[in-house]
Order: sequence, then C-alpha cells, then structure tokens
Amino acid sequence: MSETRAVKLPTGGIRALPALPRLNLAPWLYLAPALITIVVWTYLPLIEAFQLSFYQWNMLPTSPKRFVGLANYAHLLTLPEMHAALANTAIYILGLFPMSVIIPLAVAIFTQDLKGPMRNVYRTLIFVPMIIAPVVAAIVWRWLLNEDHGLVNVALDTLGLHRIGFLQDPNFALATLIWITGWKLIGFSTLLFSAANASINPSYVEAARMDGASRCQIIRDIRLPLLSPTILLLSMMTVLFGAQWSFTYINVLTGGGPLKSTTNIFYLLWDYGFGSLSVGWSSAAGMIAFAGFTMIAFFCLRLMKRCSVYDN
Amino acid sequence: MFRRHCLKLMLAGSAFALSSGFAQAQMAASIDKPVTITFYNYNLASASAGADATRDLLREFMEANPNITVKGVPVPSNEILSRVQADIVAGQQPDVAQLVFRDLIYIANDLGANALEVMVPPFELAKQFEGMIPQGIDLGKVDNKTYGLAYTFSTPILYYNADLFRKAGLDPDKPPRTWSEVKAYGEAINKATGKHGFFPGAYGPVDGTFVYQAIAMSNGGNVRDGNKLTFADAEGLEAVQMLRSMVDSGAHARIDVGSHQDTMASGNLGMFLYTSAVQSSLLKSAKGKFDLRVAAMPGFGEKPTRPTNSGSALFVFSKDPAKRRAAYELLKFLTSKQAYTVITTKIGYLPLRLDIVDDPKYLAGWVAENPMIRPNLEQLSRLTPNVAFPGPNYRQVEKMMMDGVREAVFGKGDAAAVLKAAQQDAQRLMPR
Amino acid sequence: MTTSMNRVLSSGAAVEPEVSRKARPRIRPGALTIHATMILLAFIAIFPVYWMVVSSLKAENEIFSTGLWPSAPSLDNYGFVLSQIPMLRMLANTTVVAGVTAALHVLTGLFAAYALVRWRFRFSGFVYGLIALSWLVPFQVTMIPNYVLASRLGLLDTLAGLIVPHAAAAFAVLMLYHAMKSFPTEIIEAARMDGAKHWRILWEIITPNLRASLASLGILAFISAWNEYFWPLLLSRSIENSVVQIGLQMFMTQEGNLWGPLMAASTLASLPILAIYLLLQRQVIESFMKSGLR
Repeated sequence: MSETRAVKLPTGGIRALPALPRLNLAPWLYLAPALITIVVWTYLPLIEAFQLSFYQWNMLPTSPKRFVGLANYAHLLTLPEMHAALANTAIYILGLFPMSVIIPLAVAIFTQDLKGPMRNVYRTLIFVPMIIAPVVAAIVWRWLLNEDHGLVNVALDTLGLHRIGFLQDPNFALATLIWITGWKLIGFSTLLFSAANASINPSYVEAARMDGASRCQIIRDIRLPLLSPTILLLSMMTVLFGAQWSFTYINVLTGGGPLKSTTNIFYLLWDYGFGSLSVGWSSAAGMIAFAGFTMIAFFCLRLMKRCSVYDN
Repeated sequence: MFRRHCLKLMLAGSAFALSSGFAQAQMAASIDKPVTITFYNYNLASASAGADATRDLLREFMEANPNITVKGVPVPSNEILSRVQADIVAGQQPDVAQLVFRDLIYIANDLGANALEVMVPPFELAKQFEGMIPQGIDLGKVDNKTYGLAYTFSTPILYYNADLFRKAGLDPDKPPRTWSEVKAYGEAINKATGKHGFFPGAYGPVDGTFVYQAIAMSNGGNVRDGNKLTFADAEGLEAVQMLRSMVDSGAHARIDVGSHQDTMASGNLGMFLYTSAVQSSLLKSAKGKFDLRVAAMPGFGEKPTRPTNSGSALFVFSKDPAKRRAAYELLKFLTSKQAYTVITTKIGYLPLRLDIVDDPKYLAGWVAENPMIRPNLEQLSRLTPNVAFPGPNYRQVEKMMMDGVREAVFGKGDAAAVLKAAQQDAQRLMPR
Repeated sequence: MTTSMNRVLSSGAAVEPEVSRKARPRIRPGALTIHATMILLAFIAIFPVYWMVVSSLKAENEIFSTGLWPSAPSLDNYGFVLSQIPMLRMLANTTVVAGVTAALHVLTGLFAAYALVRWRFRFSGFVYGLIALSWLVPFQVTMIPNYVLASRLGLLDTLAGLIVPHAAAAFAVLMLYHAMKSFPTEIIEAARMDGAKHWRILWEIITPNLRASLASLGILAFISAWNEYFWPLLLSRSIENSVVQIGLQMFMTQEGNLWGPLMAASTLASLPILAIYLLLQRQVIESFMKSGLR
C-alpha cells in the first residue's frame, strides 16, 4: 500500500505528457530507470573491458598501457588452461540438466496426483536450498563431504562402501560442484514445473483418460508437449547460466583444482582479473564468454521458435 | 567517459612519477596539525583475537599521538592486494597497508610503495632497525631497499598428533627430524591407524607458496634465479619427487587441499606442516580430544632447514609529507617492543625483536607458559626470505608453478617432466 | 481459456468421483514410490540446513564429531558472534539493501515492460534486445570498472552503493514483459476508450492483475540481493556499513576457520529469510504457481 503512495507522487508530471502527443517521449520515460541502470552499470564497463582486452595493463595510473592487439586473445586460446575451462564449462552445463530439468520435471508430474497436505510440504521443503546463501551452502557441503569427518563419507563407510574424496579426487570434484549447484536449483525448477503442470487444462487429461489412455501415454502425449515451453525455458537458462551458477562454489571450494579439473570460463576470467591482476587477459576471456553465450542464446531462441508449436 | 577518466588519471599519475624522484624524499619532521591516514589491514577483517589486538594497538597508538587518526580498512587477506590496487586506480590513495610477501616486487615497482631508505632520514631508520633481527628486515627488501617492514610473520612448523604416534608405535617425544623419517612415520601411522600420515599446507588456494618454498629451499633449491625460473632444477625437483614418493607410498595424504587444517583439527592427520599462526586455533580444537604437539620443520638429511616466512609486511603509499610522517610513526609503533608483545601473545605471530623474548617486561613470562613457540623461535636464525616473482604476470607465473607442483605431486605423470614443462611455460611470462 | 475452464469446472464435479475410484487402486503402489522419492529429496534438501544449525550449537572441540546432536548443546557460539561483530546492525543493513533492491527491481521492471508492451516505437526491438543481452554479461568483467565508478560517485562504504547498480535487472524486465504480453489487450483498450491515462492503466488495471508475477519476482530479487556476496565484499569498507554475508566471511580467518561461530552466523544470516519463507510459504508457492513464470 505504502508503495503505491510513494510512487504515485510524480503522477502530475507524467499526466502532463499527452500535451505533446507527437513527440511520444512516454515510452522512453518509462524505460529510463531500467535502461539507464543497465547501460551505466553493465554496458559501459563492458565497452571498457572490450577496449582493455587489446591492452596489457594493470589499470594503475603509474604503469604503461601497452597496446597488444589480439595478443591477449591469441594467448588465451592457446593456453591449455583455457581448453580445460571451455571443456569444463560444457560439462557443467550438461551435468546440471538432470537436476535443473529432468528430476524437477518428474517430481512436478508425479506429485501432481498426490492428494492432501503432503504435496505442499514436499514443495516447501524442496525450495529451502534456494534461499540459503551460496557461500553458506558451499561451506556446509564441504563439511558434509569431507573424506574423514564428513557425514556423507561416514555413511558410505557404514554401508561398507569406499570413502570418496569428493573435493580432492579429480574424478569426482567436478561432479561434486555440479551436485551442489544443482542442489540449490532443484527447488526452483520444481516450482516452475509444478506451476506449469498445474495450469494444464484438466479437461485434456480427462478426455484422454476417458479414451482409455494410460498414465504413460497421458504424460507422453499431453503433459510433456504442453510443458515444452517451460522445459525449453529451463533448458535455455541452464545452458546460458549453468556455468555461471557454479562460480561461487568453484571460488569458495576448489579454486579450479584439483589439477584444474573444476575450473570454468567464468572462474578463469575472475582468476585473471582478481587473482593475477591481468586485466587484459581477464577482459579478453570475458569477451570470449560473452560472445560465445550470446551466440548460443541466439541459436537457442531460433530453436525455440521452431519448436514451440504448442505455444498459444 | 570512463576511459577518459582513466587517461586523465594516467596522465596525472605519470606526471607524478616524473616528479616522484624529488617528492619521495619528503616526509614531515613532525606532525603539528591533525592528520588522518588509512590502514588497510586483514586482521581487522576477521572476527578473531587478531582483530581485537589490532584495534587495541591502534587505539593505543592514537592515544599516544593525538594528532593522528588511523582509519582501519578491513579487507580479507586474499582480496587485500586487489583492493589496494583498485583504490589506487579509483584515486583513493591508501596510506599504510598490510600486504603479503608474495606480492613484494609488484608492490614496490608497480603500486608505488615508498622505500623507507628514501622516505626516512638515515639516522631515524637506523634507530628503528636497531634490535630487529636482520633476517626479518631482509624480508621486505627489493634491490636493497626496504619497501615492506616485516610485521606479522611466521615460519612453517610441524604439528603432530601424539595420540596417533602412540597408536602407530612411535615415540611422541621423538618427532621426525628428517624427511625420510617423516616418510617412515607417515607410513606407520597410515598402516597402523588407517588415518592420514603427513600433509603440508602447500597446495591450497589460500596457502601461498611459503611452505613449498621452505621445503624446496631446505634441499638447496630455489624457485628462481634473477629472471630465470629454476623450480624444476635438480634440488627443487628432488624435493618435489620426495613429496611424490611419499604420496605413492601412502605416507603423504591425498586430502582436500582447502581443508587440511580441519583434517588435522579433527584428529585424522598425523603430521601437518603449516604456519605457526594457526597454532591457537588447532589447540582449541584438539583440547580434550587429542594430544597436539609441535616440532621444527624437517630437513633433508643433515642439511640445515631453510624455513621461509608467511605473513605480512607494512607498506607506506602516502604521497603527502604529513601523512608520510603519520604513516611512519604508525610503522614504528606497530613494530615496537610492546606491539610485538601483543602480536605474539594475542595473534600468534613471531616477534621481530628477539631481545624481548627473555625480557620479563615483555615476553618472558608468556614464553615460559607457552613453550610451543620455541621451535618457531629457534627456526628464526635460519629464516630465508620467501621469493616473490617479478614482472607484470608474476601471479600467473606463481600459479603455473604451483599447478605444476600439484600435478607433479598428485598427478599420474612423471614428476620431472611435469615440473619441467610448467617451468618452460611459465618462463615465457617472466620479464626478459 | 476461460470458457474451457468453465467447462471443466461444471463437468469436473460429476466426473471426478468416478475417475478417482477407478484410478486409485492402480496408483497406490506408485504413490508409495512417489512419497518415498519425495521424502528422500526433501531430506537431501534440508539436511545441510539442519547440519548448519546443529553445528552452531556444538563446542569448539566437538565441532568435527559426526554426532547428529551435540552432547552439550549451547548458545555460546551465538554469544560469540554477537560480541564479535555487529550482527544485528548487519541484519538491518541487509534487510534494507535487499528490500529496496527488490522493490526497485519490480518497479523498474514494471515500467520498462510497460513501455515495451504498450508502445511500438523506433528502436523498441533494439532496446528489448539490449536489455535482454545484458543478462549475459559476466559480472566478473564489470566489477572492477564498476568499483571505480562507484568510488567516483562517492558510493563506497554506503548502502546505496550496494543498491544502485542492482536497481534494474534484465530478468525482471523480461519476466514482466512476458506476463504483460499475455494480458488481454481488450481490457486495456476498453480502459483507454474510457479515457484512462497510461499511468492509471498501468497502476490500476495491469498491476493488480500481475500481483502474482510481481510477488514472485520480488521474492526472487529479495533472495538474490540478500545472498549477494562478491559486490559487497569489494565495496564495504567499514563493518558498520556492511551486510551479513561479509559478517560470515569474517569467521574464515587467516588463523583458521572458526567453524562454530561461522555456523552460528550463517544460521543467523539465513534465519530471517527462512522464517519469512516458512511464514509465507503458501503465498510464495501460490504466487509462483500463478505467476505465469513458465
């Protein structure tokens, strides 16, 4: 309520607008707050980074800013670390799919039929990781997964299985970070799928059921197609942001190790920028990431347009 | 717009650099007017005894110097260098900063820290250095000029779990003195108890390079010789191969490099080579759980060890003469006898003034109650400065070296080949 | 859509008992599996949170024990946290920062979305693209330049410095854009015919109908602002003007991590937002259900 009042104040100013109908400043006035914020705090630094990516400089006023052309890019692309980072970025994205799309989708579909209060209880609990701070999540998981005093390994031991060095074994570390990232996400995706699933017109399902369709058939022929916009949306989010979502955990837990097995493109550019103060490299890596994901985004959008037959 | 600002700053900066030859010499003789200086400090950024002790010291300093106000800027230690740099870029000139030794050359050459020999009149500086151990003063030198005044620092010591020693049939009163003993003990602990034998705090993201350098140097190796990297040369390589052989035999654990201290604290590690700064924290965790003890760092056969230092030095960045004087007064106070008494007893670092150790006015009583500091004090006489890397890409060089070491110790490949390749790659980023 | 809903509503009552009677025996074993799976998932989701709370009650020398409940639970760690850092002040700061950021997200998003939906104007496609694309800019690249800018604007060590750069987000604009797109144009047209001005249309017609979207967007923005770590870490210069995430990191020290206090501080930092969520969970989940965020 108080919000309404607070914002209503400038009403007079904007009401006066129709006096200049031809100029049509109105959309720009409405756009201004968001647009200015985004341009000032995102695009100006991006342009700055684009320029810096052609220099060798540490931003210090006392040190020379040396133009190196494409050397930063050339150097990055030949660095073995970059190859590892790019490959890992792809693994992060693919690895997240089960937890950001597949499991939540299954949970949403199968809990739809649950009656009584339990459905809400489950959904409430599964959303809790979403509100825990990533840094806290990282610390607690590091602890639970510790090879010696971590509960998960104590449990494995009790079950007669081998203890696993989740964060120190290069074969497991990447999967572990994906798991933690996914743990934070699963509730959110579940909620979105549940929302979409709940809004499916029940008459379609009923009609199919009347026609003698089995549960599987209903899911395959009715629910999945109708859920496809949400599936595509979450898939696209995973592709575009999955590697970025893992950043905090890499930063807090592994620093890209062991043996570079968990580094990705976002950690790399952070490490160059903050860890080794190489602004040129960091900017170049940033531009590569930005350009790469922009291309992927366009590709995804085209794919979505072609696939979204069910969009009404 | 942003770029124009940067250019302006750059011009201002280079104009300053030209005149700095003269400006550098200026430091006010005394302070007559109130002056405020900033102090970038990482102890203040933690909720610990270190923060309390630092606050107490600053309060005491300001009471003694009513004209000087010190504004503490708390920044976590692994962010502090980039913060100082960002503030210089943003035109917020820092005055005094507590920074770590690995960045020494960069701080002196690029960040424009003031050399004490240039800033401070010689007789004053001589008076200040009197009574400080020369090895300590050497820590902050670049090209024979003192840019950093060693402040909080420590050397690697060997923590060991005496209970695990007993279980493995080892004598806890005879801790290992050489690496071959560490290997034998580690294997024994691993076999008899199923716990981890040995681990050095040398591979983690916040560990820096000092433990690794101490091991390599104790074998006569060094990480570089001038601008030539030498960490893969015979002696350094041999040290890494020794670690690798311990990993292969099971004496050296493979644990999460980011939580080694927790493994020690939880009683799952037999021997742990790390900074003495974590001693009080480890003691608290061990209390009532296991018998924690310390020994000097092990050596290679009969060769004397060459412990290097972790920790920090104080750097002055002020340009204004009055602020320089205020900054220098702060430096003097923070490295005085009473300040080192506080730093040693409350934060757990080493005193740079050895004469206070047995002085009942200062540390004598405390040392008698805390004999665990003895191995560390005893190592001070052999203190060897941590070697920082030069050039604009020094952090990358250091990272490539540590990546190489990690790969050589824990990886599958041949240690020599891996380390040599890392050295070759990193050499390309060194200044010529 | 509305007509089909009506059809279902009127016919549903008659159909349902029959269907459920038929379906139930078939579903039962499945339902058990579903319950088991859900219980497992819920357990995985909340166990780490439980562990955080339990560990905060443990004494320093018991912290690494794997007991599910401390042998002598105590609130000492909380006392330590409150004595070492101004936790309450930090919580208040964080509430202000997260609250204002969330409100600004919603407002700037609402205005921008309205402009893009309501008008066809030169560059509107370009602007939409520009806003959408800003989502893909890695924050790691913009941090240092933004720090320099914030310092020029005198925003260092202020709460405003934590809010202003996050006053608008591509996510908010896009989400509200799509929510508004599906809003029936006839109603807006009718309002226009009646002579309603843009401001009134947005405020009195569209906004009330987008309540669910606005609420879920606000919730997401609040959560992410509350949990923001890297920007405050760079920007804060005094403990009095920093947020809880910085408070947490103060217990990870050079001299070793103080696990008990760290867990206590983490619990304190998560508690308010957890409490709000549990209190409002029905509304939160409902708003997501209705938000059209799909």
